[in-house]
Amino acid sequence: MVGELAGNYSTVVLMFGFAIVAMAPALVISRMISPRKRSNPVKFLPMECGQVPTGEGRTHFMMQYYPYILMFVVFDVMAIFLYAWGSALLEIPKMATLPMMGFLAIMFGAMAFALYQSGRRRIW
Amino acid sequence: MSVIAPKFKLSEFIKSLLDNIFWIILILVLIGLPAVMMILFVIEMPVIDGELLTPFLAFTWMADPTRILPVVHAFMATDIFRVMAFPGFGFAALLAAATIFVERKMLAKLQLRVGPFYCGKFEGILQLMGDGLKLISKEIIIPAKADKPIFWAAPVLFVAAAAAFVAFIPVAPGWVVADVEMGLLGVFAVIGFFPIITILSAWSANSKFPFIGGIRALFQMVSFEIPLILSLLGVVMLTGSLNLSEIAASQSSFPWIVFLPVGAIVFFITMLAELERIPFDLPEAESEIVAGWLTELSGMMYGLVQLGTYLKLYAFAALFVVLFLGGWNGPMVVPPFPVEILEGIEMGPITVGPFPGLPLFTQEMLNGTLWFVLKTAGIIFFILLPRGVFPRIRVDMLLNLGWSKLIGLSFVNIFIALGLLYAGVLGPGGLQ
Repeated sequence: MVGELAGNYSTVVLMFGFAIVAMAPALVISRMISPRKRSNPVKFLPMECGQVPTGEGRTHFMMQYYPYILMFVVFDVMAIFLYAWGSALLEIPKMATLPMMGFLAIMFGAMAFALYQSGRRRIW
Repeated sequence: MSVIAPKFKLSEFIKSLLDNIFWIILILVLIGLPAVMMILFVIEMPVIDGELLTPFLAFTWMADPTRILPVVHAFMATDIFRVMAFPGFGFAALLAAATIFVERKMLAKLQLRVGPFYCGKFEGILQLMGDGLKLISKEIIIPAKADKPIFWAAPVLFVAAAAAFVAFIPVAPGWVVADVEMGLLGVFAVIGFFPIITILSAWSANSKFPFIGGIRALFQMVSFEIPLILSLLGVVMLTGSLNLSEIAASQSSFPWIVFLPVGAIVFFITMLAELERIPFDLPEAESEIVAGWLTELSGMMYGLVQLGTYLKLYAFAALFVVLFLGGWNGPMVVPPFPVEILEGIEMGPITVGPFPGLPLFTQEMLNGTLWFVLKTAGIIFFILLPRGVFPRIRVDMLLNLGWSKLIGLSFVNIFIALGLLYAGVLGPGGLQ
């Protein structure tokens, strides 16, 4: 039963694999027919608008995104819970929606607070 | 003076030609035919007209082109055909290629330019082929300190993830690569791969511009994933199913965009952000960070990423059509297959046919595909249009839009769907 359910998804994996098998030769053929000149080491430097690059390519970079990442972790899970409720909505009694509304109200309060905190740039 | 072949002799030319023909026939007989026979005995042969297709019968059919139709018909029912050609990779790649050409031409017209013009006799129609040849013959330059295996794999993985997304899209009744119960959740799972592939490619390049572009792509895709998921919940509530084929079939009388316009608009905006298109093309902002996370990709690697991007664009447009515009549903415009050909044509004393397995595609399938492609082309047009109209927006505007406005609007959409359901307008007892 479980194997059967998982087996339905094998065509997705097949499609994924077919795309790899069909597209990897494009890179291989390109490597075979294109010129390869290794005369100048400057050619293999990272792109920096014509300048000789300075410093590391991978650095610590402050994107100021931390509150949004936390919110994503919470609300992504919430969205999947809502799907479990929404796809069964036609079969469950109408009173079963009330706890869901309570859940949504709590989440709205949490989200408003999180958005307010993410808007206060000075505390980041 | 130079000639092409200074030591040319006709007799030696004919001798070499005969030599080649001899070796080809020898190899074909000794290796080719046994190999074909072995393959034919190993694979499961279809039953046609109550008769098992033996290898001998298959060869007699190959001698007569009209008799090969049942074999083609049986082949079209296999998973291989679906993955490679029709609802799968070939069909999507064709539409993606058409999209690239239409985008260049349409954008040029919007900006009072001509666009591709010289390649091919008519309006530069062979431009795409020329670009492909150019890209495949260009040298691939990899930065010196890059993480080479990941950097090579990222473009291929990007195309493969886009192809896995295409696998969920039902094109016509019964014509879908993966007809799974949790289709919509599968789509969300596949969408979740794109930011990972992007950030891997950007990080492995060991360069500053890809790094900044990759981080921008990561948080843009991640923050628009929640409004994307929430805006589709209304459709799932009204349909009561996560299977994309069932969702498309449930819209036979009216598309859901009639009742859920808010959700459709929210989904369209998040679609633009997930596809990194203007006005949300911050990860590839060419006037700020060269080309964003595509900066270090050269030659065919860039070509593969472009192909993946447009496959993804087709898949998103098709998802919009399936969820909000009714998928393949539409008035029947394709004429039925002529009965005379099925029963055999009488030409004086001779009767040609009947041809077994001739209606290769049913009338419903052709009609569904026609409507699906028309609607998808319309949605792709609306995705391309903002590129000629809007400027790029700032990153804080993007985050504010995604987190405050779109999530709020998608909850409004959920309450509209709930109200319609509980007021008895839709669902059991209501319309439909």
